[in-house]
Amino acid sequence: MRALAWAAAALLGWQCANACDAVDTGADSARLVVAGGSLTEIVYFLGAEQRLVAVDTTSNYPAAARQLPSIGYVRALSAEGLLSLDPTLVLGEHDMGPAEVVAALETTGLPIVRVAETASAAGILAKVRCVAAVLGLVEQAETLIEEHLTSVVEALSELSASAAAPVRAAVLLSIGEGAPIGAGIGTSAHGVLEMAGARNALADFEGWKPVSLEAMANARADFVVMPQRGVTSAGGVAEVLRHPAVALSVAGREDRLIVMDGMELLGFGPRTLFAVLRLAELLGTRMPSGE
Amino acid sequence: MFAASLDALQPRRRGVVVALLGCAAATAVALALAFGAMSIAIADLLDGEGLQRTVFGQIRAPRVVLAGLVGGVLAISGATLQGVFRNPLADPGLIGVSSGAALGATTLIVLGPALTDALGVLSFALPLPSIDAVPFAVPLAAMVGAMLATLFLYAFSSRYGQFSIVTILLVGIAVNALASVGIGAFQYLSDDDQLRTLTFWMMGSFGSASWPTVIPAALLMALAATPLLLACRELDLLQLGEAEAFHLGVDVKRLKRRAILCSAAAVGAGVALAGMIGFVGLVVPHLVRLLIGATHRYVLPSALLLGATLTILADLAARTLVTPAELPVGLVTSALGAPFFLWLIARARPR
Repeated sequence: MRALAWAAAALLGWQCANACDAVDTGADSARLVVAGGSLTEIVYFLGAEQRLVAVDTTSNYPAAARQLPSIGYVRALSAEGLLSLDPTLVLGEHDMGPAEVVAALETTGLPIVRVAETASAAGILAKVRCVAAVLGLVEQAETLIEEHLTSVVEALSELSASAAAPVRAAVLLSIGEGAPIGAGIGTSAHGVLEMAGARNALADFEGWKPVSLEAMANARADFVVMPQRGVTSAGGVAEVLRHPAVALSVAGREDRLIVMDGMELLGFGPRTLFAVLRLAELLGTRMPSGE
Repeated sequence: MFAASLDALQPRRRGVVVALLGCAAATAVALALAFGAMSIAIADLLDGEGLQRTVFGQIRAPRVVLAGLVGGVLAISGATLQGVFRNPLADPGLIGVSSGAALGATTLIVLGPALTDALGVLSFALPLPSIDAVPFAVPLAAMVGAMLATLFLYAFSSRYGQFSIVTILLVGIAVNALASVGIGAFQYLSDDDQLRTLTFWMMGSFGSASWPTVIPAALLMALAATPLLLACRELDLLQLGEAEAFHLGVDVKRLKRRAILCSAAAVGAGVALAGMIGFVGLVVPHLVRLLIGATHRYVLPSALLLGATLTILADLAARTLVTPAELPVGLVTSALGAPFFLWLIARARPR
């Protein structure tokens, strides 16, 4: 009988994982566990890092977060491991899992908040406000947003509106052995290009996919954007520019390779706003600051 | 088989070995229940409704039970299939269970969002969560995949090859290849999140164990493994050769059918919950034969005990070595199993 009740509770578990609008702001966040890099960044942004008892392996910014105990990968959490930290609240990214472990955690009565993600500037602000509401820091958050983020968001909103003759850019995750991995529709990189007022040159497929050399030549990319890690493992900027996938494009002929920190650009925490603004300057969709 | 020389063992010594394996299994269960990321004292368990009690009863206990059952079932199935195929390399993966389960899980994880949309239309746009995020949906899909793959193997090899060992082996290779095509195609279609879910599923974990999933799976595993244990005498006769066994009154076809379908059901139920657990089905039967000889009457129960012991201990390592995180247990079993297998070979075949 008890097992049956437990089954019902576990089956309904997914319903209890709060979306942010349903947050009970009374939750005690004194011992906070965070599963998701952008959420950890936001906790630090809000100055609430002293409440953190552990974070997941995707939480590597700011550097201090790496010193905290690790609960493992955000999609492969351990129920008992997490509970052994005696947490009062778990904050998780939309992809926290596995579902069965989250359900098991919920049956112990541990409050779990799952924060929604939208790949846009508004989405990032919503995430900050959501975390602030959960931590009971709503007023402080508005002050911090006003102080640090509002001007960036405004600058970004002008970009997306004023794109008459769009700049075409392709985001490649890696290049080298085998076909390069490119960002299609529905990826974080697609969202970043839209925010930067550019057009994704690889918008004819969904997700991160290997791109053939011909498709790259056909994409007419004015710029190629790559994470630092991908460039390093390919052997540096010169090697990337010499790779046929890049060399055959406009970007390759004009040496227009933009290298950025991948987690900063694609992590969708507050610092992504600044990274996108810098990207826009490099793409020429925005005049360099101090215009 | 290399343990044949030890077959002259006295029945009494065999009894002692089985009893020792039983003690080892009991010790493993006790250790696994006693240790974990959270320190739980006996006093905590006697004392009311605390968190420690919930963790022990609802998270740690079902996990130990699942690990023991899956390990035991993998080892029995491996021993039976090695006996039926008279091939020391046979393991449950051979009859398509593992790849079928993987295909089932992959299908659900990748097509989950599309299925959710379809169901959303049917339920008049009630807010549904994505199917792949519903607890227990992935294990069910894996179970269905495992059974379909093995039933196909069974039907095809009975229709086109009189269900002979060679046909089953060949069809098994083809079924595994077909399943890999499906898995590869879905991996290509999957997005970033789905791909990461798949990767972790393939590495195996008992972390999702809970009574509502463990109890039905346990019943199914017990039900399917019992006919395997009861077939030990026929399996011994089969070692003389198929024709000889037939003349001694063994219904060889029925024995093969039973071995394959029961193994598939038992292993399928386990793999569905735990993902891929490598090397237990292959290594444990060999280890047991080394200890106790090749007589299936002793091999099968010993394999059950030793498989359970090793898998429970591997899971204990997986969940305590890197707390508060955990390792994928399939990685631990393979990391221990493969070098051990090499040691077995070196020991059995001196230069």
